[in-house]
Amino acid sequence: MIGAISLYITWPWLPGTRGATPRTIIVYGFSILGETMNEAIFPEFQAQWQTRTGERVEFISSFAGSGTITNQIILGVPAEVAILSLELDALRLVEEKVLPGPTWHDLPHGGVLNRTPFIILVRPGNPKNITDFADLTQPGVGVVHPDPLTSGGAQWAILAEYGSVLQTSGDELLAYEQLLGIWQNVVAQAASARAARTQFENGFGDALITYEQEALRDQILGRLNAQIVYPHSTILSEHTVAVIEKNIKPQQRQLIEAFVEFLWSEAAQKIFAEYGFRSMDERINVTNPNFGVISAPFTVDDLGGWPQAKREIIETIWKQRVLQEIGQ
Amino acid sequence: MNGTENSIQKVNKKRPRSTGLVPLILLLGVLFPLLLMPLIAIFIFASRSGLDGFLSALSQADAQFALRFSFIIASVAALINGVLGTFTAYVLSKYRFRGNQALSVIVNLPVAIPTVVVGTSLLLLWGPIGLLGKYLDPLGIQPMFTPVGVLLAHLFVTFPYMYGAVRPVLDELETTYEEAAYTIGASRWQTFRFVLLPALTGGLFSGSLLTFAHSLGEFGATIMVSGNLRLRTQTAPLYIFAQFEAGNIEAANAVAAVLAITSFILFFVLLRITQRKTVQVT
Repeated sequence: MIGAISLYITWPWLPGTRGATPRTIIVYGFSILGETMNEAIFPEFQAQWQTRTGERVEFISSFAGSGTITNQIILGVPAEVAILSLELDALRLVEEKVLPGPTWHDLPHGGVLNRTPFIILVRPGNPKNITDFADLTQPGVGVVHPDPLTSGGAQWAILAEYGSVLQTSGDELLAYEQLLGIWQNVVAQAASARAARTQFENGFGDALITYEQEALRDQILGRLNAQIVYPHSTILSEHTVAVIEKNIKPQQRQLIEAFVEFLWSEAAQKIFAEYGFRSMDERINVTNPNFGVISAPFTVDDLGGWPQAKREIIETIWKQRVLQEIGQ
Repeated sequence: MNGTENSIQKVNKKRPRSTGLVPLILLLGVLFPLLLMPLIAIFIFASRSGLDGFLSALSQADAQFALRFSFIIASVAALINGVLGTFTAYVLSKYRFRGNQALSVIVNLPVAIPTVVVGTSLLLLWGPIGLLGKYLDPLGIQPMFTPVGVLLAHLFVTFPYMYGAVRPVLDELETTYEEAAYTIGASRWQTFRFVLLPALTGGLFSGSLLTFAHSLGEFGATIMVSGNLRLRTQTAPLYIFAQFEAGNIEAANAVAAVLAITSFILFFVLLRITQRKTVQVT
């Protein structure tokens, strides 16, 4: 019996059981990308590369909160391509000298792969009657929120909660009160947007603030046991691709470049749209009629770009004022 | 036999057996919600989509890899710590020197240190920005985020188990046996091989199984040092965590069920072996 177990365990490494070792691409991505990449993007590129060169490519990947993977890359994981949920994490890679500079600006759309607005997910039938971010400040509403320490999505969510008032009214005090009100109702924090979604599905809270993509894909497939609420005004998150040059061996360069180029190809962008990510190219978004309408969308550029938004909104307002106020 | 069984077994041997129904019911009442129900939940969720769903969840390439990888790491960890732990126990038990007690405490520390701290400390030593890693990195040596890093973490975390299983046996073993061996001209190695080793068999076996089992379930240190790359460094517990976080509860539970069954078999074997020894003694 022990022999049989040993054989099973070592099988893939026994001589003769393995074909030519395929070339690999190591991709680290933020949490909600996992399904789209594994199910569609990777296979599509594998097929394209095989027809073009006859070579087999294997993807080695890891998906976690954007902050988590950024920290892992800083500590030296061998990522060749990183897809981060926000430019801020890419800027941290520059700060820590992983990247020589903002190299992603040379990529299409300044390195932004795709985007998705932040929405509110509520229980079926919307029992708490939530129609906008303001309703999340009502007493008795439990909000599930990812943790801004490790999740990029959480930082986008904070900008959405604060910026939606600021953009429509221009009133900083009202914006602060909305952010505070929502955070007083946060009942659970998870390490990534994906993990927060899992918590919500496991029955925590009445509302989840998350990427539209998270909910849309399941809604299209008819397996969403929740309801999407589109806020009047919300932020469009923009997801940044960083190519980690220092981890790319010379013989890998061509392959990695081809993969990165592929990410912005029409084929790949259509896949992203099919999976609920909005393309930077509006013509492609028409292919998915399920995208909801947002009356007053805004981006991080409207808040002065990430460095300023991080400093003024996340550090000063959320961390120093909101967290103090709710006594965390 | 020669007194190799440890104190727990001695107690077993002497205690009269009776069928205490009330204590048994009380015990089950306590254990049911604490231990048994969570275990049952794993199996219920793992089998929710039937045997086909369970098998297809298990046959995923990354699930297969994670299981194999975990078994390999656990075997190697058990092997290396089997030797290292026995050697440590032998030296600390048989030789008197200054700092002996301090060392005895230190080798037991991994039990109490949070495994996440173990992972962090390994990163701060061997990682690219770590104390040693910073000199190794330019040479192209990078043990972290590779299977070697995972093994280092597991060796650290599981070190005390082998030592803990062997040390009490060595302490109890009377030195007269060894002295007798020396007087008839046995070398130090021969004494170890023919006098000590046979006495240690039970301890070695249970120590290895404990090491193996702990390595199989190790999570905290592994997630820090492995980089959590599927098909590369993702162990079974990391796979379970990643799948659960991603909402794939069935995939997570299928692998969890395999780990639970394996542990059950391991400890069952462990129990049978220690019992058999007891029976032989009486």
